[in-house]
Amino acid sequence: MEQSQLMQYLPVLMLIVVAIGFAAGTLTISVFLGQSAKRTKAKDMAYECGANPIGENTPRFSIKFHLVAMLFILFDIEVVFLYPWAVVYRDMLADHATRNLILGSMISFMFILFAGYLYALKKKAFDWKN
Amino acid sequence: MHAGLEHYLTVSFLLFSLGLLGVILRRNLLVIYMSLELMLNAANLALVSFSRFNDNLNGQVLVFFIITVAAAEVSVGLALIVALYRRRQSAHVEDLTTMKL
Amino acid sequence: MTLEVCVMALGVVLMLADFWLPADRKKFAGYAAVAALAGLLFLSFGGCGCCSLSGTAFNGMFVEDGLAVFFKRFFLIAAILVLFMAVEFSDRIAGGVSEYYSLIVFALSGMLFAASANDFTMLFVSIELITITFYILTSFQRGRLVSLEAGVKYLILGALSSSFLVFGIALVWGTTGKLNFNELAAVAAQFESNKIFLIGVLFILVGLGFKIAAFPFQIWAPDVYQGAPTPTTAFLAVGSKAAGFVLLLRVLFTAVPTVTAHWANLLIVISGITILYGNLCALPQRNLKRLLGYSSIAHAGYLLLGVAALSTSGQSALLYYLAGYLFTVCAAFTVICLVTRHLDNDDLSALAGLNRRSPLLAATMTLAMVSLAGIPPLAGFFGKFLLLKSVLEQGAANPGYYCLAFTALAGVVISFYYYFGVIRAIYWSKAAADVSPISLSGPIKVALWICIAGMFWLGLFPSKALNLATEAASVFAK
Repeated sequence: MEQSQLMQYLPVLMLIVVAIGFAAGTLTISVFLGQSAKRTKAKDMAYECGANPIGENTPRFSIKFHLVAMLFILFDIEVVFLYPWAVVYRDMLADHATRNLILGSMISFMFILFAGYLYALKKKAFDWKN
Repeated sequence: MHAGLEHYLTVSFLLFSLGLLGVILRRNLLVIYMSLELMLNAANLALVSFSRFNDNLNGQVLVFFIITVAAAEVSVGLALIVALYRRRQSAHVEDLTTMKL
Repeated sequence: MTLEVCVMALGVVLMLADFWLPADRKKFAGYAAVAALAGLLFLSFGGCGCCSLSGTAFNGMFVEDGLAVFFKRFFLIAAILVLFMAVEFSDRIAGGVSEYYSLIVFALSGMLFAASANDFTMLFVSIELITITFYILTSFQRGRLVSLEAGVKYLILGALSSSFLVFGIALVWGTTGKLNFNELAAVAAQFESNKIFLIGVLFILVGLGFKIAAFPFQIWAPDVYQGAPTPTTAFLAVGSKAAGFVLLLRVLFTAVPTVTAHWANLLIVISGITILYGNLCALPQRNLKRLLGYSSIAHAGYLLLGVAALSTSGQSALLYYLAGYLFTVCAAFTVICLVTRHLDNDDLSALAGLNRRSPLLAATMTLAMVSLAGIPPLAGFFGKFLLLKSVLEQGAANPGYYCLAFTALAGVVISFYYYFGVIRAIYWSKAAADVSPISLSGPIKVALWICIAGMFWLGLFPSKALNLATEAASVFAK
């Protein structure tokens, strides 16, 4: 069984070999066949449709991006708790003893998240301008 | 070859040690912080593999908690490092020298 | 559970109150929080379902017993005293005063959960709730470089310790399959010789040792104590340390009691070195908050005496000592907060001539130092006496305990030097730069008198508090 499972990965292995071989091969061939050209400053410049490039080559991000990204990660990751909750929801709702607990716990969790959202909104954390 | 629990644990231990080495040896705060995340994820890997091989889902729920807590830690941490960078124009541990004996 | 829910709701309300309160009223939101917490504390004594003495929640993850109730009241008192201090401090916080209050309340809710944690998941979540809140509280004065630096140092070392904690939990859970402390205790004996299990327990202790600033995980304490805003430092010294101790007690004596019994020597060594390190490093300090930072390391060592004794009398002595430590440290930091109001640094020289500027503050600081040093009749003396007694009781079984008791006594003698250095700075300084009297607001006077009363009450009438502590520690005797 293990043999056959591993066999399934054979095409992947072949693909990797071909990919590496192609990349390495073209590089080697170009070293042997190509003429070594002179490097000049003008040639090393980034090509921007013939015009001289202006400014740094790594654009600077606004700090606003950082803030929104962090908020996104926070609110995004909290949703992970919905999965285990949803898995047991139906069973716990059917049971009389746990009915209120299962609903109440998620509502209170969502309430706290919502308070956090409200706070971020009021602090204008989502405001791109200014 | 079949990958057993010990293989996963070995990888997890290696990741943890790599992270620890990174924290000790590197000098840039952001790199140190990434190494710390690596250590947390080493623990996550250990938990998930134990969970898989012991047929017990508790560990995976704990992983959820660790991921969310790590996200909170990262947001606070990055904000702090950025604030420090703005004041100091540096994110190197050698520059944290305002308080000495 | 009701208590935790109320505190959490209070935190959310304070956070949102920021938007609707007029700017000049924000400062006083702290008093509202104090009133609410005092009400909860009062209810916890009235027994209105806020602090029931028995019961569990979340499938046994959360437990209500004597120990939990003791620590919950402890944390409530600590938060009340810190909030009084925070109101006085609020003019030194550039932005977000009510956020500062709400973060204190959120940290408090983490501590309340820690007091009831009976499961590794709960332990992890509560400890992280406390730690992450403290990252922000530490670096709250964004304009001050020291505050930011302290925050970043705490962040890196705190994250390091939590990754050790998590990895330890993973290993313990992986080998035993149990997260609940009681269930783990039932099977822990089978795994005593399992290396992976023991490494896991050791890693968990590393994570907790960081919280209480025990040697060799004390590196962060002096810097963070010095750089953090003063109310934060006070809360860190009292609340965060006590939360570390309650979790340490639960792990050592509820979850893995059989392993703990083998590790007495390790605990003795850690406790002894922590005492010596803290006291010796405190000797040359000129910065008040840094001095108290080292002194808090030394006190973590004294408190570990109670853990190392491995007996119920040791645990109850620890709880009693913590109670005394609460009032003493809050008194000291309140004075520092008021005296350094218009100063840039917290140098010892700021105390010069304090007895003429404000006799109440001078008296409070003197009493706090005397209590920390462990001189009768204040709280610190009786606490140290009980801790030493519990250690000596065990001496017959293991001579290491005699060495430990001797080390602790040596530490106390060393500590006299720097505690009296502080008192000398108040009364016998040569030149006082500033002789203007310090005006005290009404509420802060109340807080100071609470601290003084607490120190005297615990020192002069220890029986009531000791009964409470013994009752709380009896959960481990089962």
